[in-house]
Amino acid sequence: MKSAILTDLTKCIGCEACALACKEINELPVSAPMNMLSAYTWSAVEHRNGVNIRRQCMHCEEPACVSACPVAALEKTKEGAVIYDAGKCMGCRYCMVACPFGVPKYEWDKSIPTIQKCILCHEKALSQGKEPACTSACPTGATIFGERAALLREAQKRIDENPGSYVPHIYGMREAGGTSVFYLSAVPFADLGFPGNLKEDPYPKLTWKVLSKIPNIVSTGGVLLLGIWWIINRRIKLQDENPPSV
Amino acid sequence: MKLSLPKPTFWTMVLAFIWILGIYSAFTRFYYGLGTATNLSDQFPWGIWIGFDILVGVGLAAGGFVVAATVYIFNLKSYKPIARSTILTAFLGYLLVIGALLFDLGKPYNVWHPLVMWNPHSVMFEVGWCVMLYTTVLFLEFLPVLFERFRLERPLRIIRSITVPLVIVGVLLSTLHQSSLGTLYVIVPDKLHPLWYSGILPLFFFISAVAGGLAMVIFESYLSARAFGKELEFKLLSQLSRIIVVVLSLYLLLRLQDMGSQGALKYIFDFSTESIYFLIEVGLGVVLPILLFLTPRIRNNTAGLFLGAVFVLTGFVMNRLNVAITGMTASAGVEYIPSWMEVAVTASIVAAGIVIFRYAAKYLPIFSDEEPMGVHQPPLVAAGKSGKVAMGILGVILLAMVIGLGIGLTKDKLPDPGMRIEAAVVQPAGSLKLPDPIVYEMGESSPGAVTFSHENHVDPSAPQCKTCHSGLFKMRPEKAGALGSIQMDLLYEKKQCGVCHDGEQAFNVEDNCEVCHVAAE
Ligand code: SF4
Ligand code: SF4
Ligand code: SF4
Repeated sequence: MKSAILTDLTKCIGCEACALACKEINELPVSAPMNMLSAYTWSAVEHRNGVNIRRQCMHCEEPACVSACPVAALEKTKEGAVIYDAGKCMGCRYCMVACPFGVPKYEWDKSIPTIQKCILCHEKALSQGKEPACTSACPTGATIFGERAALLREAQKRIDENPGSYVPHIYGMREAGGTSVFYLSAVPFADLGFPGNLKEDPYPKLTWKVLSKIPNIVSTGGVLLLGIWWIINRRIKLQDENPPSV
Repeated sequence: MKLSLPKPTFWTMVLAFIWILGIYSAFTRFYYGLGTATNLSDQFPWGIWIGFDILVGVGLAAGGFVVAATVYIFNLKSYKPIARSTILTAFLGYLLVIGALLFDLGKPYNVWHPLVMWNPHSVMFEVGWCVMLYTTVLFLEFLPVLFERFRLERPLRIIRSITVPLVIVGVLLSTLHQSSLGTLYVIVPDKLHPLWYSGILPLFFFISAVAGGLAMVIFESYLSARAFGKELEFKLLSQLSRIIVVVLSLYLLLRLQDMGSQGALKYIFDFSTESIYFLIEVGLGVVLPILLFLTPRIRNNTAGLFLGAVFVLTGFVMNRLNVAITGMTASAGVEYIPSWMEVAVTASIVAAGIVIFRYAAKYLPIFSDEEPMGVHQPPLVAAGKSGKVAMGILGVILLAMVIGLGIGLTKDKLPDPGMRIEAAVVQPAGSLKLPDPIVYEMGESSPGAVTFSHENHVDPSAPQCKTCHSGLFKMRPEKAGALGSIQMDLLYEKKQCGVCHDGEQAFNVEDNCEVCHVAAE
């Protein structure tokens, strides 16, 4: 089963219970501002255009960050979480560059920094069959946890049943090839700071199109170069052996 | 050979100054972290250490593989006199790039991880492998110079016998590496400005690296000729300039054509910051040198040749910085200007490169291709026995990479574990899902049990979780001890419940025991 989170922005009252719960379970400093994602805030509640927007990692189905990491420090688990192994990470920050949602953050103030982001409570809740701290703390049910397909159905149902209350778009259903964190909103997502016009194809495909050609480049190129060298060399040899009669 | 301390001339003073700043910056960066030393941020995670030190550094080392291929594969032996210094430049370039990388990596001691922790889907993984392998190849290509200098005849013969396979592997690795630096940015279609983003960025990086590498050969030959009083291989360099014209024209055509097909041409003249940087990059660095090199009077004149090369290099440097910085600024939403410490580190690294090159040029036979000790160098040895062995080993390495990639490609999605997580319970609108009442354990002198109810404390129309969480009370009671114990003494001191229950904001705890404590029946 694949787990997911559905956040209905129309129900969010901005109480920041999710952000606090995340800090508690992950032992992050409560002093760091909770209105934006940072190394010390994995779940933030932004306030824009009168809407409270809970932010976290989208847990993409085919995450750009996972494909970008040269040492496989980031991993998409079978339960759906995108998790991180600080022991493998070498700190190149390519994951930060690659993520279309700008999620991974860095401990810029540490001499030995690590990447920091929401890990869907993989170890502390998911892998024990429990739900993440943030969704369990939400008092209004604005952010709920469940099975991916079921949550998508639920989101669609809400849009269908209350056409006036939502923009007809489940953010995250198709963005970047589909994510595991979905949003519903009454205000267009572009006005809420959600990256718009994202590709519907998974991002790793873009680079894989190029990378998958490497074996071809190497073999064709190798044969070509060897061939050129052989031909030129042979001609020179022949010339040396039978100098053209003047 | 005696290495004496350099005299305190103007340039040695400048050098000392740069290095002192560099050492201070290095200390700051490693002791206090990247945030203190650099202007990098979560919005702008890559700065000039990537944009200049890596992207430009690697690109300018491209002269190494182009000239090596010309001399050893296309057998244009007339280029041989410049082969060694270009290979040395490339080798130094790569060493410095690795040095710079160690500054930029958050955990530089893990730099070897890609060797054992594979992710063939990662461009950065490819970059890492290419740097390691190609630096090794360059070292091997450079070895003959050392062997000659120290008169090691046997190793010299062995290494010469594998020249051709080495060069072939070198050319392949360079091609991969130059292009892969462009591939790094293929995954950011929404972040990189359309004037620079392209699905075939790797091709552009490769072609421009060839032009930049060749320009670097002219640039550096000119400077070393002046510095060491060597004769300039003028004819060769002039020919190089014609090749540059062809390469740059191809580059320009491809880029414009690609921009046309992506509908990006309209940004060229909108005179935004991006468009201005683009115009300078392409005007000064591509169009102008093409025109210059097409003019025989300029091409056939040392200064003109040098000037043209400088423009090509400027365009090249600008292109890489535009991709890494200018083109990423709008999407990042913050302006990035490198800190002085970032500049100092970069300057120190460049200075180190120049100094090492000078010493090498002085003490090693790099401007000649002398053949001391009568070692007859077969013009182009067919791969001899050791050559075959080397070829075999390299073949195995390449094969391993190919197989690795294949496995990565076919590795399918992980199977469904059948784990059970209960589907979400949907909450009716307008209702609050509040935690169950909390029953506190009774203390010894307690007049009665206390049950805390969220319902009594929360205004359903505007819950203020933050008033109590997490400062006063932890949210997750299931965590052992998270509830803590409530003590009346503390309440009287206006702690715990007493923060609000002070008689002003809420009823006073002192006179209202029975409100909370329910005596046992
Ligand atoms: S949102 Fe970004 S960090 Fe999260 S899984 Fe997707 S690519 Fe990775
Ligand atoms: S910073 Fe760490 S986790 Fe991110 S891509 Fe680099 S090695 Fe991987
Ligand atoms: S899933 Fe866990 S780590 Fe992610 S935001 Fe929620 S509490 Fe934080």
